[in-house]
Amino acid sequence: MAQTEKKAGLLRRTSSSKKPLKEKVLLMYEDIFTKEDPTKSNPRFWDELFLMKVNLEHLEGKLEALDGDEVVKIRDNINSLFHHCVQALAEEHQIKVVNALQTLCALFRGVHQKNKSATGFDIINMLMGFDKAELRMKELMESLDSLLCGDGSESLKSLCLKLLLCLVTVTDNISQNTILEYVMINSIFEAILQILSDVSSRARHGYDAVVLLALLVNYRKYESVNPYIVKLSIVDDEPTLDGMGRVIHHALAEYNRQYKEKEEENQGGFFSTLTSMVGSMFIADADEKLSVQTNEAILLALYEAVHLNRNFITVLAQSHPEIDIATAPAVPIPASPTTPLGTTPPSLDMMNNPELPLDPNLQTSNLLITFLKYSSIVMQDTKDEHRLNSARLCLIILTCIAEDQYADAFLHDDNMNFRVNLHRMPMRHRKKAVDKSIPSRPLVCAVLDLMVEFIVTHMMKEFPMDLYVRCVQIIHKLICYQKKCRVRIHYTWRELWSALINLLKFLLSNETSLLSKHNIFQLALQVVNLFNMFITYGDTFLPTPSSYDELYYEIIRMHQVFDNLYCMVLRVSANAGPWKEPASKVTQALVNARAIINHFNPKIESYATVNHISQLSEDQVLEVVRTNYDTLTLKLQDGLDQFERYSEQPREAGFFKELVRSISLNVRKNVSLSTMSQDVLLKEFSSIS
Amino acid sequence: MGDTELELSPARLEELQKSPSTSSTSTTSSLSLPSSPSSGPRPLTSSSPSTSEGLPTSSPPLDVISEGVGELSLVIDTEVAKKACQKVLQKVKFLKADGELSSANSEPVLVNGTAHPSEEEAEPVKNVRRRQKNNSSKQSWLLRLFESKLFDISMAISYLYNSKEPGVQAYIGNRLFSFRNEDVDFYLPQLLNMYIHMDEDVGDAIKPYVVHRCRQSINFSLQCAWLLGAYSSDMHISTQRHSRGTKLRKLILSDELKPSSQRIRREMPQPPPSCPPTLHHSQGMSEHSLSPSKRTHQRSKSDATVSISLSSNLKRTASNPKVETSQDEDLSSSSDSLELEAGTPVRLTPQREFIKSLMGIGKRLATLPTKEQKTQRLISELSLLNHKLPARVWLPTAGFDHHVVRVPHTQAVVLNSKDKAPYLIYVEVLECENFETSSVPVRIPETRIRSTRSVENLPDCGITPDQRASSFSTVPNYDNDDEAWSVDDIGELQVELPEIHTNSCDNISQFSVDSITSQESKEPIFIAAGDIRRRLSEQLAHTPTTFKRDPEDPSAVALKEPWQEKVRRIREGTPYGHLPNWRLLSVIVKCGDDLRQELLAYQVLKQLQIIWEQERVPLWIKPYKILVISSDSGMIEPVVNAVSIHQVKKQSQLSLLDYFRQEHGNYNTEEFLTAQRNFVQSCAGYCLICYLLQVKDRHNGNILLDSEGHIIHIDFGFILSSSPRNLGFETSAFKLTSEFVDVMGGLDGDMFNYYRMLMLQGLIAARKHMEKVIQIVEIMHQGSQLPCFHGSSTIRNLKERFHMNLTEEQLQVLVEQMVDGSMRSITTKLYDGFQYLTNGIM
Repeated sequence: MAQTEKKAGLLRRTSSSKKPLKEKVLLMYEDIFTKEDPTKSNPRFWDELFLMKVNLEHLEGKLEALDGDEVVKIRDNINSLFHHCVQALAEEHQIKVVNALQTLCALFRGVHQKNKSATGFDIINMLMGFDKAELRMKELMESLDSLLCGDGSESLKSLCLKLLLCLVTVTDNISQNTILEYVMINSIFEAILQILSDVSSRARHGYDAVVLLALLVNYRKYESVNPYIVKLSIVDDEPTLDGMGRVIHHALAEYNRQYKEKEEENQGGFFSTLTSMVGSMFIADADEKLSVQTNEAILLALYEAVHLNRNFITVLAQSHPEIDIATAPAVPIPASPTTPLGTTPPSLDMMNNPELPLDPNLQTSNLLITFLKYSSIVMQDTKDEHRLNSARLCLIILTCIAEDQYADAFLHDDNMNFRVNLHRMPMRHRKKAVDKSIPSRPLVCAVLDLMVEFIVTHMMKEFPMDLYVRCVQIIHKLICYQKKCRVRIHYTWRELWSALINLLKFLLSNETSLLSKHNIFQLALQVVNLFNMFITYGDTFLPTPSSYDELYYEIIRMHQVFDNLYCMVLRVSANAGPWKEPASKVTQALVNARAIINHFNPKIESYATVNHISQLSEDQVLEVVRTNYDTLTLKLQDGLDQFERYSEQPREAGFFKELVRSISLNVRKNVSLSTMSQDVLLKEFSSIS
Repeated sequence: MGDTELELSPARLEELQKSPSTSSTSTTSSLSLPSSPSSGPRPLTSSSPSTSEGLPTSSPPLDVISEGVGELSLVIDTEVAKKACQKVLQKVKFLKADGELSSANSEPVLVNGTAHPSEEEAEPVKNVRRRQKNNSSKQSWLLRLFESKLFDISMAISYLYNSKEPGVQAYIGNRLFSFRNEDVDFYLPQLLNMYIHMDEDVGDAIKPYVVHRCRQSINFSLQCAWLLGAYSSDMHISTQRHSRGTKLRKLILSDELKPSSQRIRREMPQPPPSCPPTLHHSQGMSEHSLSPSKRTHQRSKSDATVSISLSSNLKRTASNPKVETSQDEDLSSSSDSLELEAGTPVRLTPQREFIKSLMGIGKRLATLPTKEQKTQRLISELSLLNHKLPARVWLPTAGFDHHVVRVPHTQAVVLNSKDKAPYLIYVEVLECENFETSSVPVRIPETRIRSTRSVENLPDCGITPDQRASSFSTVPNYDNDDEAWSVDDIGELQVELPEIHTNSCDNISQFSVDSITSQESKEPIFIAAGDIRRRLSEQLAHTPTTFKRDPEDPSAVALKEPWQEKVRRIREGTPYGHLPNWRLLSVIVKCGDDLRQELLAYQVLKQLQIIWEQERVPLWIKPYKILVISSDSGMIEPVVNAVSIHQVKKQSQLSLLDYFRQEHGNYNTEEFLTAQRNFVQSCAGYCLICYLLQVKDRHNGNILLDSEGHIIHIDFGFILSSSPRNLGFETSAFKLTSEFVDVMGGLDGDMFNYYRMLMLQGLIAARKHMEKVIQIVEIMHQGSQLPCFHGSSTIRNLKERFHMNLTEEQLQVLVEQMVDGSMRSITTKLYDGFQYLTNGIM
């Protein structure tokens, strides 16, 4: 399927008007596709070929049309073509370089489409010949490396990256792309880093570079040692990491911006008069159009950076002003002029660089904030497969962040306060929060808000169990940090408590339908244990004594949920079956909640009777709670503050394989398009040289 | 060390060529150079690198002079000067011979040529008048004074300023070399102001010293350049450009004034064969005498340290070899000489860039409308600045040599100011022997606090293409290697930050902190809910009173936090915290404010502090250091553990007295009494300061209260002849509100009497040493357009406030009057009300 798509992209978009006249280049292609050595008839054949404008689709079509026998016959010529392409890359004449790059692109694609079923080794043999393959690929990668790192034309660099992206995505499953073995040996990692560390090249090629890196990292990730993984994990050069962060930040912010624009557009019109219910449906539709698929690639890049490189964590908190909405972000920033002294080190420009514009209206932002906003948009609707994957990836990234000590430190830093406008799903029973009212708070509050938001908005029939589990785990990890470090954030914990209790309620009421698909006891246990954290360790991280009282109030108020849950797990654990074990764990975990309910309920009732009040106010209940603590005994649970660390393998391997596959397809589609548009650039280019 | 000694010989050659007159008597050459930094008659100097005692080889002063701009002739220009000098020097020689004896003798007969009473400890006041008669005393007396031990820097400055005799000036110019650097540094603003604004002779006398010191120290060079710029700014623009102050500033900033060794190399491209090779290897002819190993060693000592600038720091990357190779370990000589040829002033550059960035941040902050935006921007700008650290940069306000390694950016706060954007940053530094020669600390990535496995352990990865293949195959797949890569999660915190546990709490809560790891005993552990609740409230009660976070006043919280606490907290969170020489400093960056008056006030305060200490008057004041960078920017050393009274009152909503009780305990506790005494002593000190200097704009935002109960006045923007908007408010001598009196225990209390007594003693002591104070102000008056010198009678009025003509009894009456007047003064109250209405200051 992808094949036809691609073909369409290549074939239809080019000028079909040229067909009747046979270009010289086509004749030359025909020469290649004979058994004869083309240089026999024309000794300068290869020189001339690369002066011709490449006809990509023709060449690809030719390659595709070959059948097995023919291939063997013309293999020498194809090897020769490849060889000369590689040689042409070193030419001074840049037109030749451009044509060679495009020809290579066509070669890789054409050969792969033809040999869908063939093994990678056959492909290598066909392109380069076994004996020469190593040498050719080494030459190719070295040429690409020097083109990318050199001072040459920007379009050339761009084309190099396109070629690489093209090469990386020719197979659906990146790990089956045997040619990449040579890309592993002849690393272009350093070239990618250099692009990211330089301000101007980052602006032009950053996106491609980051996507390329994300894909390369995923080559045979679980089977062998991927040098890109090793290298990415030890990068510690701040400007480079920061550059990478900025590229990701920019892509995510761009998405957020587009979404917001669309949202405002929709709200302004006729639909604003409709009920919010209808409105929400419409927005969901609008999002479909908006959801630019490639942002999964960027998200994957963010994940790999966060997961693999501990130094990247600092970049998350690296603030820069939000990119101005008005100015087109794609405009590359010119290299800043050197300071009068002329001694400015390469990246001193960050200090007086246009990237920190002096617009007083700009709210300072950082990658983490942008990512949280992005997550809040993506998580709104998880029905679509892509968005579900994106949401899952967002939560995985947050899991990694929540586990990291340094990240936790700045999440909880009292001096780093930000206003984070999370997107909230419009729902019938609540009004859309006014943006301005959000106070400036430590970032961890925004993370918790996002989690609470997710919990309350996804209790639906298609229950995203794994997302819920991740969500509760993230909260747990954050609380573990707070407990260990005795950080008391001023957060309205009450919202979290009530969200968690509502989640339990939902699990209870949908027990039968959920149990057929999920282990609901695992989630229930996590939630109950979160409460145990608050109950037994609340003294270490709650902001005020009264917040501890409120916790009890909330539990007592919603005692029915706990009671019902207890009954349910008791019932399930009484029966033999697959759920016996997990259910009985929940039973034990409920000890404290039940102790609180059983202790205070009679007290409250007697208070009511003594004072002749039918309905106690919150303050009165709190009063009862405060005066009766001393007679209540709680049980400390084991390992409440322990958690399992995130590990990609084996649990998440399947998810990432599928994700990379879908990203590969996407990238391939988009690369083919942009390769075409490259023609425009080339025209301009040829007129210069 | 050995190098320097040898290097002096070319200078000596030079000396022989250029100044036969001085060196004709070669036996006395060491004696003829009292100013020599390395020769005998400077027993006080300690920091000179060349300590070859008493040998004729040492002749740097001439060297220095000749190198300035070749103005040797100017110094010994006039015959008079020469003669006077030689006379003086002759004296010095004799003096040297019998050392202390003569200085002891000279004491009782000390007199001077001008109207200056000289300083002697515990000298009765009446002597002053007697001595003033001897205006026309002989040169010899003067010489004896100069030679005496009592001749200190203050007197030297005074004579330099007042003497019209070029010979005397030249002598004092030379004599400057013999004072301790720190002592002269105190008077640097005076010296430079004289250099800029007074006649040629004074300038010529001062210049060699300044040039010499500039060679020695980058810090001194920059200080000079900044001060020269700032104090030249009042001149008319046309004269300013050609003034000598500007020229000297340019000379310094061009970095011509490198340490003399380098200088010599350039001036004498062909050193005589006997001359040992200089540090630089660019001369082919000296190469043969150097073993390669020695060469590299030397280079690392000199060139490398000089050329390591911010830029080279930036290139350091472990993971990006392409960049790294350009800056290979062996600093190639080509790149080095390239820098010299291009004339790049690398020596001063890092620090200048650092200061420039800090100022740039201040300028950009000023454009943002809200405090919140300013704070966020500040944090983000500083985090970018962090990328360039560590570097050979330092905070000039610190008292020790160090390199700045990191700015804990999240701790920075914007200070309260209406239209400017001063901000306070904390700076992590590593103390070192000498910031010019010690190597710059290696950068530790932010996240390294926690990591154990990193680049060091995987050194081979991605260094060269050849190594690549081999390296990655030996490194195990990271995902199977989970422990190694995940050492530093939250679970490890207990190991890494043991303080959290040991410090924090009682044993009971320890119990609840550690997760129950009672695997071996399956006994369930029970815990009373009441205990948890109690611990929660206890812990919150035990934390020291903190201020509530207020987005409109972000500095209040940061300043309230006890300094030690802050240091501990920041140390925990920084990758450099484990280093034993780690220190935390703080500095206020002011952009758009003229700090020259602040500097003047600092000097006066410091002088008075010294006087009071000397006279054993227990007045307490806190002069805070000021760094003038230009006429509209600078830095201030913040007073730690202090918040403004405005912030105290706003946050606590208590009266000052109640706040004292809240912070220090009830009336009769020792803490309260100590705090009260501190309050009184500081109050008396600052009342005198306010009176003498006529400090205005005394609202509660400008008065700090520290954690020990001292008050500290800040912001000396309105002193002497200037007052805010000339509204004529604050006519009282100083600010003394009834709240202050309440803290002192009321009008009838002992402490209040103590306060008045301290004032009197302080005034008497200050009066005794009036000249020292006046002189600081008077010299700065030269050529100044500062508002504090507005009008013609500033100095006269200042002198009058010392009331030289009153008896002590009369003085006592005066003090009583001032105290009463200030207390009753409604203008103080009125001014507070005015401030409240206009600026919201309580």
